[in-house]
Amino acid sequence: MKKVNQVYEALVELEKKNKRGISAKEISEVLNTDRANVSRYLNMLYRDNRVAKIEGRPVLYKSIKSDLIQRTTMGNKNSLNKIIGAKASLRTPIQQARAAILYPPNGLHTLILGETGVGKSMFAELMYQFAKESKIIEEDAPFIQFNCADYAENPQLIMSQIFGVKKGAYTGADCDKEGLLKKADRGILFLDEVHRLSPQGQEMLFTFIDKGYFRPLGETEKVIYVDVRIIAATTEDPQSYLLKTFTRRIPMTIVLPALRDKGMAERYELIESCIKRESKRIGKSIYVNRNSLISLLLYDCPNNIGQLKSDIQLACAKAFVKYKSKEEKYILISQSDLPQHVKRGLMKIQNNREEIDRIFKGKGDILRFYYKDDKDHNISPQYQVSKGFYDVIEKKLEALKNAGIEDKEIDNIINLAIESHFRKYIENLPKGIEKNEISEIVDIEILKVVEEILNFAGKRLKREYDEKIYFGLALHLHGCIERLQSGNKIYNPKLNMIRVDYPNEFVVAMEIARIIDDKFNIETPLDEIGYLTMFLASNTLGIRDEEKAKVGILVIMHGKSTASSMVEVVNNLVGGQHAKALDMPLNMKPQTMYEIAKQHIKEMDRGKGIIVMVDMGSLTNFGDMIYEETGIIVKTIDMVSTPIVINACRKAILGQDLNEIYTTCKQMNLSNKATARRENINDKNIIITACFTGEGASERLKRIIEDKLYEKNSIEIIPLNILDRREFLCKIDQYREKHKILAVVSTIDINLNDIQCISAAEVLKGEGIKKIINIVKEEDLYLNIGKSLKEHMMYIDGKKIVDDVRYIVDSIEESLNIQVVAEVKVGIILHLSFLIDKLCGNGKETHFEDLEEYKNQYSRELIIIKDCLRSLESNYNIEIGENELAYICKMFMLNKEDI
Amino acid sequence: MKKIMLVCSAGMSTSLLVTKMRTAAIKKGISVDIFAVSEAELKNHTNDVDVVLLGPQVRFLLNKMEKTLEPKGISIAVIDSVNYGMMNGEAVLEQALDIIGNK
Repeated sequence: MKKVNQVYEALVELEKKNKRGISAKEISEVLNTDRANVSRYLNMLYRDNRVAKIEGRPVLYKSIKSDLIQRTTMGNKNSLNKIIGAKASLRTPIQQARAAILYPPNGLHTLILGETGVGKSMFAELMYQFAKESKIIEEDAPFIQFNCADYAENPQLIMSQIFGVKKGAYTGADCDKEGLLKKADRGILFLDEVHRLSPQGQEMLFTFIDKGYFRPLGETEKVIYVDVRIIAATTEDPQSYLLKTFTRRIPMTIVLPALRDKGMAERYELIESCIKRESKRIGKSIYVNRNSLISLLLYDCPNNIGQLKSDIQLACAKAFVKYKSKEEKYILISQSDLPQHVKRGLMKIQNNREEIDRIFKGKGDILRFYYKDDKDHNISPQYQVSKGFYDVIEKKLEALKNAGIEDKEIDNIINLAIESHFRKYIENLPKGIEKNEISEIVDIEILKVVEEILNFAGKRLKREYDEKIYFGLALHLHGCIERLQSGNKIYNPKLNMIRVDYPNEFVVAMEIARIIDDKFNIETPLDEIGYLTMFLASNTLGIRDEEKAKVGILVIMHGKSTASSMVEVVNNLVGGQHAKALDMPLNMKPQTMYEIAKQHIKEMDRGKGIIVMVDMGSLTNFGDMIYEETGIIVKTIDMVSTPIVINACRKAILGQDLNEIYTTCKQMNLSNKATARRENINDKNIIITACFTGEGASERLKRIIEDKLYEKNSIEIIPLNILDRREFLCKIDQYREKHKILAVVSTIDINLNDIQCISAAEVLKGEGIKKIINIVKEEDLYLNIGKSLKEHMMYIDGKKIVDDVRYIVDSIEESLNIQVVAEVKVGIILHLSFLIDKLCGNGKETHFEDLEEYKNQYSRELIIIKDCLRSLESNYNIEIGENELAYICKMFMLNKEDI
Repeated sequence: MKKIMLVCSAGMSTSLLVTKMRTAAIKKGISVDIFAVSEAELKNHTNDVDVVLLGPQVRFLLNKMEKTLEPKGISIAVIDSVNYGMMNGEAVLEQALDIIGNK
């Protein structure tokens, strides 16, 4: 027999004989071996979870019955294993908890340590659930919670609560009173913040732990025996003197890790479950944009999961108010809904880029959370789900609306209500900042002023200031004040330049100087104001308040005043001066216009990109070129008309993002484009090959591709030179008017919006050819589908519909940021084609089961798809109903591939 | 008689395919029962068929349905998208018969 098993058997034998824990020494005597060896084996057994330790001198060991372990470790369905992090940061605590509960005969009393908000109470409750599940205690066994801090100023009262009182024990004790310990008989008593118990109370508790009985206050004779497992919890530092007594006298100590010690993936799960819990309260999907999630993942959260939870609740509540009051179509949490200290999390992204990327791999920019999607971590029934808070908000909103109060006012009132609801946590926050290392160097007063200054400046300059500036300014101000107070001068050599370059920041800096003067009773010199200006003007990460920065709208058209008069109309109608115009007289050279446009776009960009709206010709290519040259994201809409510009401008002011605006504009344009495309449908599809000369490599590429394509007839390959990028793009546009360009194969890198580009290298290696063959095949397939549908469609042209629907399916994919495989696409296209044919013949809508529920779940997706389908609806003069919409949505959502 | 069931999301596109498959069957002189249901009706029809064919757009049903159909000895497959796209009744019938033949 292996030595380790011998030790185990000996332990079991001795246990049977002595009915208590066994020390290593006793075993070594029985086995006649060295005690150190026995200890080593015992530790091995302990790691394997076959024995449990009872801390003390000497350490005693107990065997854990293997069948119990079997039963509970096998089934992963027990309460403890369902906790988030059961396989990660909570792995050891859970093993310990299991051992404490299963430990024969009556389990071990347990002490749980951990910071505020790590989930000590929840953990205790789950241990109780687990004890029930493993039939260690009865199904109806009591679980009694008591927080020793509740009566901390009255130690007598705490003791009487726990142990009970005999009549006449002290003044006011006029009858016998049963204590919680008695009430918890056969179950578990959870004592939170146990360090608040008086020394006398502690002693009574330890007596019970050691001996299993206690005396109520005032009782001198009889003792009471109860069968209760104690779970005590405290936030005290495990190393503190106070705790030594506890850890010595309570056999099992479990330490729960702080949030910052958990992995990012685990934190993500926690966030997910919190949001889903809110989704359950509201009964709808909650959408969260990626940046907000990143902030939640990264921000400092000193009060752990408890704080994380309430910060998330606050954000959900704000998003919910937006959804209700402004009648936004779905609940979306964006940066502006997050508390200030949470927003700062985003600033830490540089150091965590890799992990963040791993977490968000394959996820879109907006993520959806819905409680029913939950599979693993079912929201346990013991958590009372109350809609209370949201109902209150809703009722309040309604009341205010009925009272005829303006929307803006209502917003303020409601936000105030929410803030006060969460004040408890918000008030806790300065603590987190104080704890920061900086407070050791910089005075708290200064930190407070800096926060005030940056808030003020942020509002005035409509800019968000990040952590780096916060700390930088704090350090700077600290030095500056010291300098001024000791009478030293401050000199800024660049003062005049700063004044000219940053007039707005300078004005704000002057006002800030006044705040500083007041607070510290100094007089800030002009030179120092120059430095403050530089702080305000710098923005190290370039992150500005997303909600305030808007997509720019630039209209450029041929003619002396075409663009400016169109923009004048638009700005008048929409209000404000958001859209900008550039006129291009006919005698102006495109190059000149290009430079002017580039300059304008650079000035206009607020980090959210620019929509360039043009009429025709070379202007259509400006966007891509400017993007390549400057890196500013520019999207171009051509053939614009006043309504399209109005639409774009309105959306930009509302703060919609570039892609959203671009997509809707494209759709408004679609009816024109679709006709143009259709007329040429019989023209050959083309592939363009390109090199610098248009004769060398491109000719060769043409021959290679021709050789490989078996059906040359349907495709024409055209070699072009790409010496002048602008000219090249113009030519492509010309071809595009008559043909469908399947691909561009080029020796140099080019990026075209909606045409697939393949590099010459790929073609030479063979993958490129495969790609081309696939494209050609797909094209042929759709051509044939069109032909075959022609026979079957009753009310519409089969060929035309396939073309139109294909375009729509692509745009839905793009808007939802998802992809479906080619085969599925064929299915969806067919479905849509038949659907439109049916609707054109006045066919009835097909009923979709549980439509309302589906609408709650996929509100955003349904709106986006509906938007994409709009051009189909108007072209075919039909209306696609909600049921049909849900079917379409389902086909996309359930078939999507992770990108 | 062998029974072939086609499934698509609302039952529109497959009904045409059914007609074409029936014609193909008659031409071949085979007697089979072919019908189409929508995704929602699917669960009412999983007892008395030999093979279930899914339209490519409801491919997501494949995994789920395999589990319930396999114990009953019913085969399930996704219709080849090219044949589906061209409404090629003959080829889809071929696909169905192949599956039945291989059982």
